[in-house]
Amino acid sequence: MTFGEFLSDRLFRIMVQLLCVALAGLFLWATGTQPGVLVILILALLLVFAAVQLTDFFRQRARLRELEAVLDGLDQKYLFAECVPAPKNLYERRLFDLTRRAGRAMTGAVSDARAAQREYREYVEEWVHEVKAPITAARLICRDLDGGASRKLMAELAQIEAHVERALFYARADNPEQDCLLRQVNLGKIAAQAIENHRSLLIWSGVRVEMDGLDCAVYTDEKWTVFILGQLLQNAARYRGTEPVITLSAKPLGNQIRLTIQDNGIGIPAHELPRVFERGFTGSNGRNRGGSTGMGLYLCGKLSGFLELGLDIASEEGKWTTVTLTFPAKENLTKL
Amino acid sequence: MQKIMIIEDDPAIREELALLLENEGYASLVITEFTDVPGQAARECPDLILLDIGLPGKDGFSLCAALRRVAPAPVIFVTSRDAGVDEVRALSLGGDDYITKPYSVPVLLARVKAVLRRTSGEPEPSDVLNVGRLRLSLTKGMVSADGRAVELTRNELQILACLMTRAGQIIPRADLIDMLWDSQIYIDDNTLSVNMTRLRGKLAEIGLPDAIKTRRGMGYQL
Repeated sequence: MTFGEFLSDRLFRIMVQLLCVALAGLFLWATGTQPGVLVILILALLLVFAAVQLTDFFRQRARLRELEAVLDGLDQKYLFAECVPAPKNLYERRLFDLTRRAGRAMTGAVSDARAAQREYREYVEEWVHEVKAPITAARLICRDLDGGASRKLMAELAQIEAHVERALFYARADNPEQDCLLRQVNLGKIAAQAIENHRSLLIWSGVRVEMDGLDCAVYTDEKWTVFILGQLLQNAARYRGTEPVITLSAKPLGNQIRLTIQDNGIGIPAHELPRVFERGFTGSNGRNRGGSTGMGLYLCGKLSGFLELGLDIASEEGKWTTVTLTFPAKENLTKL
Repeated sequence: MQKIMIIEDDPAIREELALLLENEGYASLVITEFTDVPGQAARECPDLILLDIGLPGKDGFSLCAALRRVAPAPVIFVTSRDAGVDEVRALSLGGDDYITKPYSVPVLLARVKAVLRRTSGEPEPSDVLNVGRLRLSLTKGMVSADGRAVELTRNELQILACLMTRAGQIIPRADLIDMLWDSQIYIDDNTLSVNMTRLRGKLAEIGLPDAIKTRRGMGYQL
């Protein structure tokens, strides 16, 4: 609050006071008071009024600053009304009462929304677990069918599974700390699991996977890393070129480990590259081929952020795409 | 014959699973009443128990502890719950392995076989395969016939081992690729052809140029 704002806010009151002073002066002058006495009287009155306004200004400013400091110190700003200092006058008391009631309504709405979100997440997780049972049954039944049909159905089932998996991780990505279990895992095991999860798609796409130097330990959550790697493998298979080869190679980098996933697929145009981790971004490749949700890399970005994995992508259109995952050194992990 | 007990509340899964295990040469024992599972296990003395976690009544975790007290059989958890804490809990309660649904059938069978082998103290499967005059040593990576031997690469070794374990049958190329992926050899169709040609060349060196027959449109046969 500046002094100018204060004055314009009080303009009406000040005008009335000046008017009163003028009227009093006029009255006293008309009834024959000496001009010298009159001037002294008017000056004294003006001085008193100005002093009152000035103290008001400084008190209000100090009070506002105090309240602002309280608000700035709060994590949940909507709890402001619960944390204000005691009211200093009637007007403040009523005003604080109103804000408190508004704040309570807000707190209720926020906790309702939180509960609804948590319930929804729990439902999605429950649903995912339930839907896995029929998928498992269907897989077992597939074994009784003859080779060609069984293979096609297996591929379709794998697709369903990939979608279901993304839904599960999407639901989990908001509160990742609940399922995260950071520990030492063999990188080769993670890679083998990710390949196993998507083998129908990979085999059907005619992909050859080469691995190099993966027999090393990393500190991470196994399931999430398998999921991230799975998304990258799916992308590499989906956007493949002729004679697709995916190379997974790992190299130590100081006490970190850098995993490179390189394909020889159709690549990503340079101007789209910065946006691939955005939610729902499908890009020209996704639009041309269809079946892209724009969720895979978004989730990778989000989860790797939480796992403190470095995630970088580079590509040359029509030639290759390389994604690098940098696993943090054990001692740098803050959540272990 | 080894007896495997299936504790699973989804009827479709447990029937198909029973069928699958019987086809693989195990005796399967399906639980349909979930009232006194430990008692049933104690009476039947299975060699292995496949245990779901989400069951009517008692859940799999508490069941596992009860089973552990009455039956010496190893327990493999088979569940759709994939949170890391569940796995840790299952293994700390005395589970021998933990498989998440939907599992791939070869993986399930391999895990079952591994646990059975580990707990029954059976010797590792023989290291040497013999078919006709062919003799394949898996650990040495050598194939020999009539005293002549030649070294194989990892891919060639796996291809030949696949063909030899199913000697006489016609194996489609797609099945062969599947089996190789099971052994973590991730090759495509072209690479398979290349490896096959090399393998045949090496077999020719030891005097068996026509050991692997190509059945046009069907696959390979040893």
